[in-house]
Amino acid sequence: MHRDDNMTPIERLTAFMSGQPMDRILAIPVVCSMSGKAGGMTHQEKRSSAKNEAAAQIACYNRFGNDLLIAEYGLHGVGHALGSKMSDPVNSVPAIIDYALENLADVDKLDSEALTLKRDAKFRLHLETVKILVSQMGQEVPVGVLASGPFTAASSVYKLENLLRASIKDKENLHRLIRFCTDGLKLVYREFIAAGAMILFCDPIASGTIISRRQYLDFVLPYTKELMQEIHDLGGMVCYHICGNTTGIVADMVESGCDMLSIDNKVSLTMTKELVGHKVPILGNVDPVEVLILGDEEDVDAAVRKCIGEAYDSQCGYILASGCDLNGDVPLENLDAFMAAARKYGKYPIKPENWSV
Amino acid sequence: MSLKKELLKHLSDGVVEMEEEEVAEAAEKFLEAGYPAFDGIMEGLVDGMNRASKLYEEEEYFVTDVLLCSDAMYAGLDILRPHLAEEEDEAKIKGVIGVVEGDTHDIGKNLVKIMLETAGFEMIDLGRDVPLQQFVEKAREEGAQLICMSTLMTTSMGGMETVIRMLDEAGMRGNVKVMIGGGPISQKYADKIGADGYSSNAVEAVKLAKNLLSIA
Repeated sequence: MHRDDNMTPIERLTAFMSGQPMDRILAIPVVCSMSGKAGGMTHQEKRSSAKNEAAAQIACYNRFGNDLLIAEYGLHGVGHALGSKMSDPVNSVPAIIDYALENLADVDKLDSEALTLKRDAKFRLHLETVKILVSQMGQEVPVGVLASGPFTAASSVYKLENLLRASIKDKENLHRLIRFCTDGLKLVYREFIAAGAMILFCDPIASGTIISRRQYLDFVLPYTKELMQEIHDLGGMVCYHICGNTTGIVADMVESGCDMLSIDNKVSLTMTKELVGHKVPILGNVDPVEVLILGDEEDVDAAVRKCIGEAYDSQCGYILASGCDLNGDVPLENLDAFMAAARKYGKYPIKPENWSV
Repeated sequence: MSLKKELLKHLSDGVVEMEEEEVAEAAEKFLEAGYPAFDGIMEGLVDGMNRASKLYEEEEYFVTDVLLCSDAMYAGLDILRPHLAEEEDEAKIKGVIGVVEGDTHDIGKNLVKIMLETAGFEMIDLGRDVPLQQFVEKAREEGAQLICMSTLMTTSMGGMETVIRMLDEAGMRGNVKVMIGGGPISQKYADKIGADGYSSNAVEAVKLAKNLLSIA
């Protein structure tokens, strides 16, 4: 158990899911991209082996006592496996340089075998990370895997700008590409669920900042529903996240059948609570950049207090989280402050006196 | 309506309605009728793009729509531009634009570039995942008065600050205005790293650029 808490994250999550009391609010700063920093590694070192990935996550937990260990399949996993070329920066997240699919009409030439464990070494590394985390920490802390949703997967195979053009001019082939990605992701999720990970289903490219609601309903939601169903059929649990401004599709996102909904800082927590708080637990939405990366400990304290104050009484429950993943520029002290504020304002029973005095 | 007005309307409407072929056809007819290419660009294509921007601001149009409008505009530009009288294509304010190293998401950058070109800037596009030194070198080489940087990834934001420092070290900071944008970027971040301005979308970026360079 973490020295500052009275329950383990597993005990806390179990209590949360069954409506029992807990010591404090669940708190999940998304410590994925930045985890190397807590473990004294560059991003490149961190991502080089399952052992390092796992060690970085455990280092985060030992320091912060955060409620979720996060392995990753990543947002570009499907594209990379199919042959998209990635950069290899020392201390940031790799980006796609060349796309596997040049011409959308060639979508049927994509090889689904390339996505299998047997062929994809990165997939094996990520799965191994989950296995290490579950075996070393699984009794104490839940393990999640950050994996892409269907639209983001498609954008890792085929350049976004052309993909958006195709959403008007070549719908048929675009649907085939997203169908291909959806079927591939099912195989991916299956392995992670079998290894004991919860799916952190992230589809940032489906953001309202990039596509319209009409495009979301046509190209994203149907496939997402299917994937959520598959996850549940496999006995998995899933939290659904889309970055940026999703105000216009929050209700649609919940239609997908997700178990939990995570919102970014551009969306109102109060609005989300009123709209869908009676359907799913909500995660969010401390501003990852302005507050956690650029702010100081006082800013973090105030932001956590504000989030808890807005959403603690959401009908199906509220989990304190950062709006999105954090990069290595985040001061570790700000994450200490995040957890300290969670323990202060989110101490059970959570009530306005916690923060109004 | 005179033939000229009618063709200008076709050009403008074609851009707004994202009809590449109709725009190209109207551009050909415009030239055949002997009207100046410059008018076709400014009063037809650019007018259409400005209307599309307005629809974007009003949330009638989304990124995809603006992208297709710009495709239609470029279809017309490809035909009209070679027929510009030389002096009309000179003496534009130059700007350098790119997505900073570590990120390859360039859709926002492309939209900003299109809008700035529409507004009369000459934009030198460095592309995506641009090594930081290139912003400085290219700006010097071209005598650019504007540097525009974007990123969608929090992980590559830091590069913007580095570019500003490099400009300082090269003694160029006083000669260029630096504008930044992209998903995780904010006014607060722009202030922190000493950028001259931030804009949240491509339409705002044009207003900001004109403002920074004191252009009416």
